[in-house]
Amino acid sequence: MPTFKQIGFYVDQSNCTGCKACQIACKDKHDNPVGVSWRRVAEYTGGSNETDTADGSFRTNVFTYYTSMACNHCADPICVEVCPSTAMHKGENGIVSVDPDICIGCRYCEMACPYSAPQFDAAKGVMTKCDFCADFLAEGRDPACVASCPSRVLDYGEIDDLRAKYGTESGIEPLPDPSITRPNLVITPHRDAQGSGHGTGAVANPEEI
Amino acid sequence: MLHELPLVVFTVFAQMSVGSFVVLGLIHIVGFRVPPKVMDRVSDPALFAIGPLLVLGLAASTLHLGTPLRAANALRHLQSSWLSREILVGILFAGLGAAFSFCQWRKWLTPRLRQGLAVTTAVTGLVLVFFISRVYSLRTVPAWDTWHTAIRFYSTTFLLGFLAVGVALVVTQGIRTRRGDDDPQASRLIVSSLRGIAVGSILVLGVKFVGMPSYLGGLATSGEGAAHQSLETVAGTYGGFSLTQTILVFAGVAVLGIFLAQLSRRAVSARALGVVAGSAFVLVLAGEVIGRMLFYASMVRVGM
Repeated sequence: MPTFKQIGFYVDQSNCTGCKACQIACKDKHDNPVGVSWRRVAEYTGGSNETDTADGSFRTNVFTYYTSMACNHCADPICVEVCPSTAMHKGENGIVSVDPDICIGCRYCEMACPYSAPQFDAAKGVMTKCDFCADFLAEGRDPACVASCPSRVLDYGEIDDLRAKYGTESGIEPLPDPSITRPNLVITPHRDAQGSGHGTGAVANPEEI
Repeated sequence: MLHELPLVVFTVFAQMSVGSFVVLGLIHIVGFRVPPKVMDRVSDPALFAIGPLLVLGLAASTLHLGTPLRAANALRHLQSSWLSREILVGILFAGLGAAFSFCQWRKWLTPRLRQGLAVTTAVTGLVLVFFISRVYSLRTVPAWDTWHTAIRFYSTTFLLGFLAVGVALVVTQGIRTRRGDDDPQASRLIVSSLRGIAVGSILVLGVKFVGMPSYLGGLATSGEGAAHQSLETVAGTYGGFSLTQTILVFAGVAVLGIFLAQLSRRAVSARALGVVAGSAFVLVLAGEVIGRMLFYASMVRVGM
């Protein structure tokens, strides 16, 4: 069984087609009910069509790119910080998870997390979230989302190795400034990607996030 | 706007309890020349009304939990969670307040010791209001993470504290008069307390309406998109509610202002006192509850 000092995710935004296979694989693996989606794919859209007044021609600068997002098992996890019960904790391999026997379901972590990672399961009365498929990891298997991606844009591993291999970018709209929680995430940006806090577009599918 | 109702009830009631306790203390301090017997006779019934109010608030807060039976687990993370600290101080305030009320009722301990207990309770209550403001000062919610959250909570505390005490004093007096249990000394104390309450409320209203525009201005000029969305929610989507809450609070305090003006000319009847205290309280309470619902509605987080 592989072990990690701090495990992290990699997302190749430049090749993501927004098919949401990762989202469905996650939901299927964890049997999550409607309304609970640990991995979600944000569609970030902006730009407009303009008429060039000089020659009457049309120009378009519309763009859309996708960001597949679960939990980034942050180095400075605000969910763990604010949790009043200690149910939310950073454990083995640096994975942030909820102890369902301690959680009181106050939903304060849900309010705080800028990635919408902790999600309330009304039937269970407690918070739930991505656990990096810890059971699969223990068997030496890949997390369900990573294994399912037809474009192979998702990867995972020791965060230092991911950063050495893919770089250190993680501040892309609609994600927040990484200095807030220091996510263990690396992104290869889409060619139209906009930096966190400098976005001109908007999430086109907020109901799915 | 209704899904955070348990938290609206909890925060408003907890703050009203703290405010009422502190205002009763202020009446004792300002009226130090009043014979203690008269003072206690006037203020004790109001004091005993605070407990149920706070218990109701604390009970309401557990209603928003997914697993309310585990509510005690909320105390496990005092090292870093403001929510844990808020609950602890809330319980501490309730416990100290109960202890003080009981001693006051049975006249246990010396008056000096009871005073010490009351001051400790009041300070704990004011700390509680600060801790509640810290709970909402999340660094991922720009509309909440400002100095204005504390100002907002303290102004609710004092405004509702003043007015709730006003109602309690007048109601107690009314019941006693009906029983033929009139006491001119007590009546005088109540009228002068109401005068102080009116002045105090006008001052708090002043703080509120200096703070609000500068807060909204701060949201408008913020570099965060989330702050602009919060502003859009309170000024656009729920603009009607924002206006209504402002009018209600103003109207409530205006009633007190008219009362002050009347009082400077002639004595005011017991019935008029009841109308003044009651309508001011109801108007401001309605305004503050709507204001708190708007506070929760304005919650927009950075990120996705």
